[in-house]
Amino acid sequence: MVDVLYVEDNANDADIFNRLMRKLNRPISFTILTTGSEAVEYLTGQGRYENQPTALPKLLLLDLNLTGLSGVEVMEHIRSNERTRFIPIVAFSTSDSPTDIRSAYEAGVNAYVVKPGSYPATGLLLSRLYDFWLQDNTRTHYR
Amino acid sequence: MTSLTVDLTNCEREPIHILGHIQSYGYLIAILPDTYTIVHVSENIADLFGHPPAELLGQSVETALTQTKLPAATLIEILNVGTRNGSWESMNPNRFLLNGTDWNLIIHKHQGLILLEWEPVGENNTLVNQQLIAHSLTEVQASRTLADLLQNTAQRVKTIIGFDRVMVYRFGADWHGQVIAEAREDHLEPFLGLHYPASDIPRQARELYKVNLVRLIANAGSQPACLLSAPNWPADQPLDLTHSVLRAVSPVHIQYLKNMGVQASMSISLLYRGELWGLISCHNYTPRFVDYPARQAARFVSQLLSAALEFRKDAEDQTALQQYRQNGQQLHQQLLLSEDVVQALTRQPTTVLNLTTGTGVALLFNNQLYKLGKTPSDADILALADWLKTTDAETFFETDQLPNLYAPAEAFRAEASGLLAIVLSKELNEYLFWFKPERIQQVTWAGNPEKPVIVTEDGQHRLSPRTSFAAWTETVRNTSESWAESEVSAVVKLREDVLQVVTRQANEIRLLNQRLQVAYEELDAFSYTVSHDLRTPLSSIRCYSEILLEEYGQDFTPDARALFQKIIDSTERMRSLIRHILHYSRMGRNDLNAQPVDMKQLLQGIREEIMVTAKDRSLRIDIGDVPPINADPTMVTQVFTNLLSNAAKYTRLKPEAVIRVQGEQTASDVIYSVEDNGIGFDMKQAGKMFDLFKRLENARSFEGSGVGLAIVKRIINRHQGKIWFHSEPDRGTTFSVTFPAVPTI
Repeated sequence: MVDVLYVEDNANDADIFNRLMRKLNRPISFTILTTGSEAVEYLTGQGRYENQPTALPKLLLLDLNLTGLSGVEVMEHIRSNERTRFIPIVAFSTSDSPTDIRSAYEAGVNAYVVKPGSYPATGLLLSRLYDFWLQDNTRTHYR
Repeated sequence: MTSLTVDLTNCEREPIHILGHIQSYGYLIAILPDTYTIVHVSENIADLFGHPPAELLGQSVETALTQTKLPAATLIEILNVGTRNGSWESMNPNRFLLNGTDWNLIIHKHQGLILLEWEPVGENNTLVNQQLIAHSLTEVQASRTLADLLQNTAQRVKTIIGFDRVMVYRFGADWHGQVIAEAREDHLEPFLGLHYPASDIPRQARELYKVNLVRLIANAGSQPACLLSAPNWPADQPLDLTHSVLRAVSPVHIQYLKNMGVQASMSISLLYRGELWGLISCHNYTPRFVDYPARQAARFVSQLLSAALEFRKDAEDQTALQQYRQNGQQLHQQLLLSEDVVQALTRQPTTVLNLTTGTGVALLFNNQLYKLGKTPSDADILALADWLKTTDAETFFETDQLPNLYAPAEAFRAEASGLLAIVLSKELNEYLFWFKPERIQQVTWAGNPEKPVIVTEDGQHRLSPRTSFAAWTETVRNTSESWAESEVSAVVKLREDVLQVVTRQANEIRLLNQRLQVAYEELDAFSYTVSHDLRTPLSSIRCYSEILLEEYGQDFTPDARALFQKIIDSTERMRSLIRHILHYSRMGRNDLNAQPVDMKQLLQGIREEIMVTAKDRSLRIDIGDVPPINADPTMVTQVFTNLLSNAAKYTRLKPEAVIRVQGEQTASDVIYSVEDNGIGFDMKQAGKMFDLFKRLENARSFEGSGVGLAIVKRIINRHQGKIWFHSEPDRGTTFSVTFPAVPTI
């Protein structure tokens, strides 16, 4: 059972995320996956996660620009699967292009956040995200 | 002769082959082929045989000769030979000496009767005739133009028959005629080139001309001789004179000749492919008889000429076609060499005017009109193009009577009664027109049309060329010479050539467009790379600098800390630059989504945003009268966000900053102005204002990339609007932008 699943293929971003999580000093469990296909397998219990039942995360932080399966494609898989279709997904992207934002919403994203590009700002942002998505938000799954 | 009311309509109705008269210089007897019993005689028969007609009708043909020294057996023998052979032509003429005078007997069989016609023997020399025929043959064989051939033939016929005037008269498609060759006595007025109305030679006369190739009227002034029939002969079966050599002509025609002062006339038919092509028409101003052998010689010349016409005319048509083809090829070459269709078709030695006999050409291409020769006015041609669009003409359009199809053309019928047009593009309104003038303009009148109608003493209107011309001009008004097959085919070929070039050019543009599309796509990909791939490492640089500062900062010297801060500030500046460039490039390409924009709401939103960042200073943003505009909401937001942020930025140092936004609706535009009381700038530097990355000197201490106003300018351009400004250093700046009331995007 994890609170946050972060899909990010950029090692630096993942590292910075790790550091910020430590720094936040809050009891939030998280998993970082580096490809879209692994994320889909993780969430749907297929492939390398076939015999390891995983609980759904309370929040999926999804980078959009992934090598291989893109963020939008990951979302399409998740939204078309009965078990995972209501997972809260927040797109976490460097791009502020209107077309990217639009296609993310069309694929069913719950929120779109542009990466602030600064360490303290990212920390602040994550903290606000957790406040909302992990505490205030009510979800369909309680397992 | 009974007095006839002479007009053209009763002429059309006259049954001229059964008039019941012959010309009085000859004599006619018609006999039954089995018994040689006389059933018809001409009333003047007593002059020849000494027997009054009544004594001969119902008698054997031998009876006719009883008063002469000619033995009846001689005539009977000839009739027997003819009957036995079933042929009469080859024996004609049979020469007889009757009472000391020589006569030519011409026999033919028609409608169950044998017709015997006696006519005088002229002084004609058979040898001369044969020479002339031989010359004609040589003439026809020599390869000359049709015009030369006809002219020489006219001269030759004149020599054979010795008439004052010999004309070659050619029928048009509407059966009106024109004199195209002439041989005449020197003192006579030339008729060459004159036109005659179709009614001068009515339809039934033309039919006879096809059967009977040579006709002579020896004396228009003489009284014709009546034909009398045997008492028991049915009145409803008059003698058919179709092939008679003596047949009297219609009183209408006699009157016509008299009007022209002609006393004797002869006509020789010219046939082309079995149809009447023309006539050799001979006039003499005194009575003149042409004897049978001379007429036969003339007829032979006519047949030779008709045969020549068959291939010579084809050859001339072929020559015309060849000429048009050559010019067409030249035009094609010009089209291939020149990228410019207009140049190739209208401004080189060979132009589209050389492609037909039309006297004017107009090219409507690329919304421009180009004219050559005699044409209607620009407005008339444009209206004509509009009309043409409503017809079902898909490739070409051809008429020799435009005003009858398109009433407004009556106004310019002089230049364009005939129209040949090709459709280059209905959608783009591109056409090529060839015009032919109204034919009446080209016609030289046979006689003066102004001359009043002659009224005779008894009050009857005499037929004259004048009155018949009036009728003819009515029928040919609004028409031109028709377009030849060769002209139409040349023009249709040209259309293909032009379209090929146009299509090739269009393809080139399409290729360019495709390349542009590819370039845009690459630019998109590049923009994406800039937005993501460049920003990601930039973020890393910044974040790691911040981490270093945060986690190890206490170990750094103040100088090291300041250096790290510079790294962080630089990444921030670069990040902002990248964002602005992206915005700028997007503003050029995104589709415009024009719609009414509620400006009050939009401006208030921007004001709130700005006020958040300006909460620690004294800034007032007044929004005045703000009429709605029709524009892309996102882009308009960008425009006013940039203008208002700039105003806020450059008023930062003012103790009391005030920004005023106002709008005004005019007939054609909506004008907005954004006025501030900021630092202002020197108008001398204003040229740089909207250049990308250009910043003014006194703005150096203010943050900025030099992209914001370039974006504004770009958006306004895309909305077909305008932007301008007024400013003075330290006295503030006013930017004005307009949006068209009705956007033409």
